[in-house]
Amino acid sequence: MTLTAVTTTEAPAPPTRPVWRVPPTVVVSFVVVALVLAWSIAPGVFSHQNPVDGIPSELFRPPSGAHWFGTDHLGRDEFARVVHGTASSVSSALVAVLIGLVVGGLFGLLSGFFGGLVDTTLARFVDVLLAIPSFLMAVVIVSALGFQTINAAVATGVSAVAVFARVLRSEVLKARSAVFVEASLLLGGSRASVLFRHVLPNASRSVLQLAVLQFGLSILTIASLAFLGYGDPPPASDWGLLISSGREYPLAPWLVWAPAVVTIVTVLSVNRISRWLRKTD
Amino acid sequence: MAPQDRLTSTLERPESTVAPLLQVEGLRVAYGGHEVVRGVDLELGAGRSLALIGESGSGKSTIAKALLRLLPTGGKASGRVELAGRALLELPERHFRRLRGRTIGFVPQDPGNALNPVRTIGAQALEAAELVDELAKPDRRAAVLETFAQVGLADPERVFLSYPHQLSGGMLQRVLIGLAVLPRPALLVADEPTSALDVTIQKRILDLLSELREGLGISLLLITHDLAIAAERADSLLVLKDGVAQETGPTAEVFAAPSSDYARRLHADVPALNPDRYAQLRDLGRAGAPKIEVVAVTKSFGSLTAVDDVSFSVPAGTTHALVGESGSGKTTAIRLLSGLEQPDSGRIAVAGEELRGRSHASLRSVRRHLQLVYQNPFTSLDPLWKVERLVREPLDRYRIGSPRERDELVRETLTAVGLGEHLVSRRPSALSGGQRQRVAIARALVLRPDVLVLDEPTSALDVTVQADIVETLLRLQAEQGLTYVFVSHDLSLVRQLAHTVSVMRRGRVVEQGTVAQIFDSPQEEYTRTLLDSLPVGAS
Amino acid sequence: MSRGYLPFALRRAGQAVLVILLAYVATFVVISVLPGDPVTATLRNPQNGFTEEQIARIVSYYGLDRPVLVQLWEALSRFVTGDLGVSLRSNRPVADMIGEVVPSTLVLAGASLGLALLLAFGIAFGVRYLPRPFGPALRSVPSLFLSVPGFLVGLLLIQIFSFGLGLFRAIDADSPWATFFAALTLGVWVSAQVAEVLIANLDREAEQDYAGVARARGLGQARLLLRHLLKPSALPVVTVLAVMIGEVLGGAVITEAVFGRTGLGSLVESSVASQDLPVLQAVVSLAAVVFVLVNLLADLVYPLLDPRVTVVRPEARVAVA
Repeated sequence: MTLTAVTTTEAPAPPTRPVWRVPPTVVVSFVVVALVLAWSIAPGVFSHQNPVDGIPSELFRPPSGAHWFGTDHLGRDEFARVVHGTASSVSSALVAVLIGLVVGGLFGLLSGFFGGLVDTTLARFVDVLLAIPSFLMAVVIVSALGFQTINAAVATGVSAVAVFARVLRSEVLKARSAVFVEASLLLGGSRASVLFRHVLPNASRSVLQLAVLQFGLSILTIASLAFLGYGDPPPASDWGLLISSGREYPLAPWLVWAPAVVTIVTVLSVNRISRWLRKTD
Repeated sequence: MAPQDRLTSTLERPESTVAPLLQVEGLRVAYGGHEVVRGVDLELGAGRSLALIGESGSGKSTIAKALLRLLPTGGKASGRVELAGRALLELPERHFRRLRGRTIGFVPQDPGNALNPVRTIGAQALEAAELVDELAKPDRRAAVLETFAQVGLADPERVFLSYPHQLSGGMLQRVLIGLAVLPRPALLVADEPTSALDVTIQKRILDLLSELREGLGISLLLITHDLAIAAERADSLLVLKDGVAQETGPTAEVFAAPSSDYARRLHADVPALNPDRYAQLRDLGRAGAPKIEVVAVTKSFGSLTAVDDVSFSVPAGTTHALVGESGSGKTTAIRLLSGLEQPDSGRIAVAGEELRGRSHASLRSVRRHLQLVYQNPFTSLDPLWKVERLVREPLDRYRIGSPRERDELVRETLTAVGLGEHLVSRRPSALSGGQRQRVAIARALVLRPDVLVLDEPTSALDVTVQADIVETLLRLQAEQGLTYVFVSHDLSLVRQLAHTVSVMRRGRVVEQGTVAQIFDSPQEEYTRTLLDSLPVGAS
Repeated sequence: MSRGYLPFALRRAGQAVLVILLAYVATFVVISVLPGDPVTATLRNPQNGFTEEQIARIVSYYGLDRPVLVQLWEALSRFVTGDLGVSLRSNRPVADMIGEVVPSTLVLAGASLGLALLLAFGIAFGVRYLPRPFGPALRSVPSLFLSVPGFLVGLLLIQIFSFGLGLFRAIDADSPWATFFAALTLGVWVSAQVAEVLIANLDREAEQDYAGVARARGLGQARLLLRHLLKPSALPVVTVLAVMIGEVLGGAVITEAVFGRTGLGSLVESSVASQDLPVLQAVVSLAAVVFVLVNLLADLVYPLLDPRVTVVRPEARVAVA
């Protein structure tokens, strides 16, 4: 009996996952996020109007073809202000995620991989970071560093360190106890090679999902800090700040709702992508 | 109410044996457009037993779920199912619900997960007692305790107050059988009721089921992958493959003279029924000097002595089997052998090299000679890696040959274990269980080791796939002069492929000898119990 | 429950004390990183009207003229004895200032947690038992809640119920309706996170073998949910709620600002604005104390509630949560 004959008698392999299919809502979400990122990279391409100097004759114009989001109390085009505010609202959230990912990820990785005293020490440190409510911590840090959007981003990032550290630690522990990791050690792999070839790639999926989720949360946190006035001062146009200053003109509700809807749609899209990543694991 | 009363006051059960209790015609079950049961007919008389036999994917469990109308969402059953003259599939859900438990009882596969972990067993047992309409509320507890005693639970009061995790698997399965028979159903559906249990416990549970069936006159639909168990416990058999009945009839007929190809193959592949199938292939190789020597090894974890004064030696080119039930220490023994654990005392030598007291780095050189194949190929392969990279990994780690030579070796080894060229760029998730285990074996063999330690390498696989893997292993042994240490709970399998055997229990070696000595003239009581527990197919 | 409970509880309590002290130190370190010397700058601001003598007294009280480590040690010693220092702005004991606003924030926090639980259980039950398309549609509600900044929820509620329906006057922050909507603002956010956990747990439990076996025993959907699925799904919510205390305390800053309430959050905001560091330090440390104690309590209670959890390995709870 030849061996090829043997294999044919086995049950056929389970069909590979049906052709990679992305749900339509996820496609829309990716489009929204791509658009918003484009706004933050090249705002001038999307809005030709001046976000800083208004036209005195065009105060409080409601949304129209000329001014999609209307105009404010100085006659500035609200759409231009939203688009030009994207950079600090969204890119700063990326900075925050990056800080959380790098610092927290390193903590979690060391903690999970070395265990023992390293783990205990880092665990207490992470406990401390968790103990201070994250928004309060962000407020304290931003008030220590000074009221600027970049500092708000740093503060948001630091307050996310603990979450990243915890998730990466548990993922590393999970991967480390996996049979295939032990198998790799038996096959002659050193600890470092196992860490980089098996443990990290297997942990990276849930970390990616968390990073996307934290991106959405960071947009909200930074908007909240801006709302309280802890970001760049006017004429900067962070979304949170726009909403906050729009409150003073109840007769021009679009000044609140335009940036609000943009914020919500952006975060909703980011969250949708994150959920999709979690499901396709 | 006295037990005798309830015993006799059963449900509307036809007294005549003319009309069968359960009659299924043209049953089809589909998920979306995919049919997993494709027109199955079956018949089960009152007080009789029928076994559905099949491997994974045969649709046997789906039939059980369809009868209970507990198919997962998306599953649709069609055809005719009649129980005691009532068409089941057409009944509205609220009417059918009254039949669950009362008329159709269910015994699940894995007793460890079949009870709610955060509720006491008593609280869940009272749910079963509620189904007995004539049982008044204050009497329910007594009825439960009485049933627990009936299914052989020694301390019913304690069981009643326990949480599931406080009981052993065998006890839990007794509880579940008790809950299923307490409302005196007409039909009991048992879905692989013993596959999660040790062999000695398996026999006792099957005895209990037979006993209850005869004592209470309950019909039994037994679902199993094990032809030997089915033949031993059922009046008639139905062999399923890919959702289609291959063969059906009285046990004696089907078992003695299977008419379909598949049933014949199944019969040939069950180790218990064919102890000498591989004898010729097994005895091709020649035994050499001892390759592995284990002398008086002891290993404790806290107060538990997992391995207690164990010694054995394996001549080169032969297979030594470690046999035992769960908790016997066989897994710890091979972890010691692979250097994954260090023994507290004793000596382990592989190919003349002492294992004890080595660092991770110096163990590496020993491991080139000794490789481990894990039990579960679903967890032992990195899900992100492709077959080629998986098999190549050890060559890369040990820096063997040039990259081109490594490619060559990988291909050679994959062919040797019977994996085709077209699979090399697949990930494990796109392979069947048998293919995955072949990848694992190839990965272990690519370093050209002298010794393979095989930790229940086929227990996660179907019996026909197991037969293929066993044949491959024996052929490789004959060709390459490999030495195997084979760990298994399956005595029949061990009998087919091993040369020498150590029977283990609670960390100690109970008995040791050649296959013939152990199986034909066991000296120890425990070995005899194990052998007696084996289902052998003859009823 | 096992004999190891007392050592477990003591070890866990010891950790909690350590974490509280370290949290105080961490806050102190962050605050003293402040560029410049805002403390004396604030003190010397003529608006505050401190005399040189008063300034000297405050400076020496806080030891601002001494090395940072000494300052830290003294501040920590005072904190341990319950002395939270004196406000730079109002020259009043910080403990008194906090005491005045705590009840208002407690009411807000309690009400928001209660509303969050109601909402979360309502959503989770709806997801499982409302017919199509309502049940499945409810699944996306937590995600929607998590995409709306807290201050917007507040603004929206004020817009509708105060300006629109005139249910309460936005200025009258302590009226029952105003309190209700402020609590709802916070509760929506918290409920989304609780509901996500609850829905995921219910889904997971419904897939377990025991759920199928219980249905085979004749249980209907409603009994299955109440008797079997609810307890194992809801137990981990204890832990989640404890963590949510932090969200509530942090979110209070925003909510109190939007609704014009006085409370711990508004105290944080005003002390940030006026660089009143002792107040900021005290409120943040207090929040950490509350968070750590509530989580300690949850950890100590959890093994008593869940029979699966043994305290031999404290990490086991993580696997359940």
